[in-house]
Amino acid sequence: MMDVGRHPNIELYTYSEVTHVEGKAGDFRVTVRRHPRYVDEDLCTGCGQCSDACPIVVPNEFDAGLGARRAIYSPFSQAVPNTFVIDRESCLNDDFLVCENCRKACERDAINYDVAPQDVTISVGSLIVATGIDVFDPYTMKTYGYSVSQNILTGLEFERMLNASGPTQGHVLRPTDRRVPKKIAFVQCVGVRGENDCQYCSLFCCMNSVKDALLAKDHAPEIEEITIFYSDIRAFGKGYESFYNRTKERDYIKYFKGKPSKIVEDPASHDLTIYVEDTLTGKPMEVVSDMVILASAGLPSSDTLKLADVLGIELGQDGFFKTEKENAQLLRSTKEGIFLCGCASGPEDIPDSVAQGSGAAAGAEKYVADFRLPETEEEITPIDVGGPPRIGVFLCHCGINIAGVLDIETMEEYVRSLPNVVHVQNDLFLCSDGSQKLLQEMIKEHRLNRVVSAACTPRTHEPIFQETCARIGLNPYLFEMVNVRDQCSWVHSQEPLLATQRAMDQIRMAVARAQWLEPLEQKEISVEGSVLVIGGGPAGIQSALDLDAQGFPVTLVEKEKELGGRLRFLDRLLPENVPAVDLLQRKLAQLKASGVRVFTETEIKEVGGFVGNFEVSTTKETLKVGSIILASGSDVYDPKDEYDYEKYSNVLTNMDLEGIFAQTDGGEALINGTKPKRVAFIQCVGSRNEDNPHCSRICCPTTVKQALRFREQGTDVAVFYRDMRTVGHGAEEQYRAARGVGVVFIRYPDDQKPVVTKSGKGLRIQAFGTMLNDTVNMEVDAVILAAGMVPKEPDTNTFKEMLKVPRSPDGFMMERHPKLGPVETTTDGIFLAGCVQSPKSAAESMAQASAAAGKAASLVCRERIKLDPTICRVNEALCRGCRTCVSICDFHAPELVETSPGIFVARINEALCKGCGTCAAWCPTEAIAAQHFTDQQIEAMLETMLEEGL
Amino acid sequence: MTEKKTTAKKKTAKKTEKQKFVPKIVAFACNWCSYAGADNAGVNRIQYSPHFRVIRTMCSGRVKPAFVLKAFEMGADGVLVSGCHFGDCHYIFGNYRAVELFEKTKKLVHLLGLEDERLRLEWVSAAEGIRWAELINEFVDQITRLGPSPLSENGKKS
Repeated sequence: MMDVGRHPNIELYTYSEVTHVEGKAGDFRVTVRRHPRYVDEDLCTGCGQCSDACPIVVPNEFDAGLGARRAIYSPFSQAVPNTFVIDRESCLNDDFLVCENCRKACERDAINYDVAPQDVTISVGSLIVATGIDVFDPYTMKTYGYSVSQNILTGLEFERMLNASGPTQGHVLRPTDRRVPKKIAFVQCVGVRGENDCQYCSLFCCMNSVKDALLAKDHAPEIEEITIFYSDIRAFGKGYESFYNRTKERDYIKYFKGKPSKIVEDPASHDLTIYVEDTLTGKPMEVVSDMVILASAGLPSSDTLKLADVLGIELGQDGFFKTEKENAQLLRSTKEGIFLCGCASGPEDIPDSVAQGSGAAAGAEKYVADFRLPETEEEITPIDVGGPPRIGVFLCHCGINIAGVLDIETMEEYVRSLPNVVHVQNDLFLCSDGSQKLLQEMIKEHRLNRVVSAACTPRTHEPIFQETCARIGLNPYLFEMVNVRDQCSWVHSQEPLLATQRAMDQIRMAVARAQWLEPLEQKEISVEGSVLVIGGGPAGIQSALDLDAQGFPVTLVEKEKELGGRLRFLDRLLPENVPAVDLLQRKLAQLKASGVRVFTETEIKEVGGFVGNFEVSTTKETLKVGSIILASGSDVYDPKDEYDYEKYSNVLTNMDLEGIFAQTDGGEALINGTKPKRVAFIQCVGSRNEDNPHCSRICCPTTVKQALRFREQGTDVAVFYRDMRTVGHGAEEQYRAARGVGVVFIRYPDDQKPVVTKSGKGLRIQAFGTMLNDTVNMEVDAVILAAGMVPKEPDTNTFKEMLKVPRSPDGFMMERHPKLGPVETTTDGIFLAGCVQSPKSAAESMAQASAAAGKAASLVCRERIKLDPTICRVNEALCRGCRTCVSICDFHAPELVETSPGIFVARINEALCKGCGTCAAWCPTEAIAAQHFTDQQIEAMLETMLEEGL
Repeated sequence: MTEKKTTAKKKTAKKTEKQKFVPKIVAFACNWCSYAGADNAGVNRIQYSPHFRVIRTMCSGRVKPAFVLKAFEMGADGVLVSGCHFGDCHYIFGNYRAVELFEKTKKLVHLLGLEDERLRLEWVSAAEGIRWAELINEFVDQITRLGPSPLSENGKKS
């Protein structure tokens, strides 16, 4: 949010609404109604004195009604902009009454009650709809008793309760008696999957409850039992299954398959009784719990219908914005130039929402590519940092994330006593807009020439603080950050005294290091304006097309003879059953008409260079590109002798069956030459087991799609599953349809796989059905194995080494951050698209490919980028030219230069040096300084740490 | 009788002192894997021992023998150097260099007369929060069992 708020090219209209749109793609005129805040944005400092003076108290929407706010308020503590707003519905001031307490309280005269809404018209090339979701209010559903008991909360309400800045400061408290509950129950699928007229699956609720169960216990160790009542646990995303498995190991978390029929509150004790069928024994059961959390569904956001009308785009049956059907484009609406991302088109989890945001931006850029703004750089006069160090230390509470464990007051007092510290201050959220401004003011006021913050991790927040310093002219390398949250308060929360001691030591060490910090200047390098896409499947093609549409030169390299990847072997695609062949043909035609250079039967031999300047040698030619998108795909798991796959020709995989369906040309599918009377699907083959713990995400939707296809030709279908994970647009609806047309779903236990044996011409499948509490024997003509996806070998490993991109524990390529950087990698300028990162459907792969294209575009559209100056430098006076550094550097950054006859010294190429500091560690004469991590800086930390002891 | 009592008292005193021994441990963590792994432990709220202090370096290859020697000279009871797993290094072979350098460091520490167990080189990836927590716990236990370093104030006293 802060990045958006402070970006020079982003104009932010909050508290505003789009009321009218005219024109077409590339030339829209949009009318925006700006609702009055009654508080002047430029004058308001966010001090909150107005709020303190306000006599009105109403429920706070941001805390889902659990907390309270005044009629004049700031929506939440990290709001951007941090300007207060008056809710005129509850404000006392109207034509008849006068209160004006807030106006009187405001020292800056920022409040004006007589402001009218203002209409602004803007011209834009494209529009992106990111209107999110609303949460279903279970008030009307009598079954769950939400309207009767205060101790029943929705998932969102509980989420606020767990939040450090929420209404209970992160304490888990039962609303009726404010005691810590001993037993908590989660009820999944409230208001979805057939309830409340919602057929779809809300997608994020399972993992949200799984996570909250874990967090609740962390926040309140007194909790003895957490029961999760579920239909299917949908841990489908990257890393979700292993997270879910971890929670299963906790003995206080119980998973219980079953859906409560009613929840009743005891009027005296306010305890809740949950009536549910024990699906293992078929007998009714009663479970008593102190609190119940309803995993309430996500609904289309309230104004979706109105907005669809204004924008002239269609809605789907589920009430969300409809996506473009023909090309399976999840990010395009039904109107050209209008894009969708996140939950606007249906419930999504955070990683996919974030990726979709970048993807929608890539699509939208096509219409504005000619209007790129030149990068403007403000002239900032640097602050003179000479003289003795004047250090300012800023301590962040991070709500109660830090302050709930560490004793900030003691820390503050202690820090004041440290050498050269001239200013110490603490703040609720140091990263908030207001606090960052305050930090700048303090730098000026106290003439600080070093700044130390004790907050979260430098890995995410150092750049924000550095930029804040840089904006008022303090060299950003004079900033130092101490991690007292992720590596202190969060991990030593059981030992607050020792945690505070550790925090104080680490701050003292940082202050000692700060004395030795030096201002560093960033060097600029030029950027090649072209992109290489590795892999010609749907993801690679989509990335290439998106980049080409924006006018960037793109080269697409494919190892195989033909483009299309796995798309070539598929029948119809989810969610809209578009024939894969048709989609591929259209994509190939687009590719042909585009300016993308395509190399098939070409392999990558070597990758050199760095961000903006990669040199890639292929078996065809050598390329110079600014960025690389890796879309090399995945493999389908080969079951080998599992279920006698290799032995019997009527044991197939989903993939084999896709091939058969694709060949039928709309006719009947034959297996071994005959039309099968009855088939069985077995789910989770090669997934969710010890060797491959991940869930492959696409197998359940694929099985359901194929089952429906079989039913069309009269074949009976049974599906043996563990959890039906029909995730993705339209998949849950298909699952319901499959059950409607007589597909039998039999749930087998996690530790008891079905057994397939030969029986005459056909096969016999034997499995224990947990819902039937009995063993099922079934004669079938064919068994279809839902074989999951696995990383492609040896390609994934080759690219890992070539591109220096690490792999996740599941073996797929690792993204920079699951939520903050889902398509980026740890290597600048290299992005991931499609199944190489994690299993996905073709439509999902293409959406992610657009995201990678968007990220690559934002890099190669620049002519120059700034390089990190934290690299190594040689003090030539000390260098003896021994060649040690030259021989150990794997990036060939140092080279020997003859400065005068016979005298050699090492020099380091700044563009090649990565700043690892290895050469500085090896240099026998200590001639090399690893800038920002110099010997003095590190030794100063060691000295102060060990002098004063722990 | 009195003598016995005093010895017993001394023993108890010594015992309590030993129980109270809180090791001083320096952990060098590389920015890309181990430091990120430690952050990961935080995100997952994994609880572990606070008896160590972290120094972040860009690469485990940056940790030169002089840093480790300085730490021991100044009384550290244990030093941990942690980097990326082989093949995971952000600088490709930085951790291989770290191993080569570490071999030298180990010999020098040995010359100081310190137990080899006081110095460790380990690998923790960005995703291994649990491993980081376990490693710290285990190392703190190990050093606590070893007792104070003979070069430290505590060690000289005893």
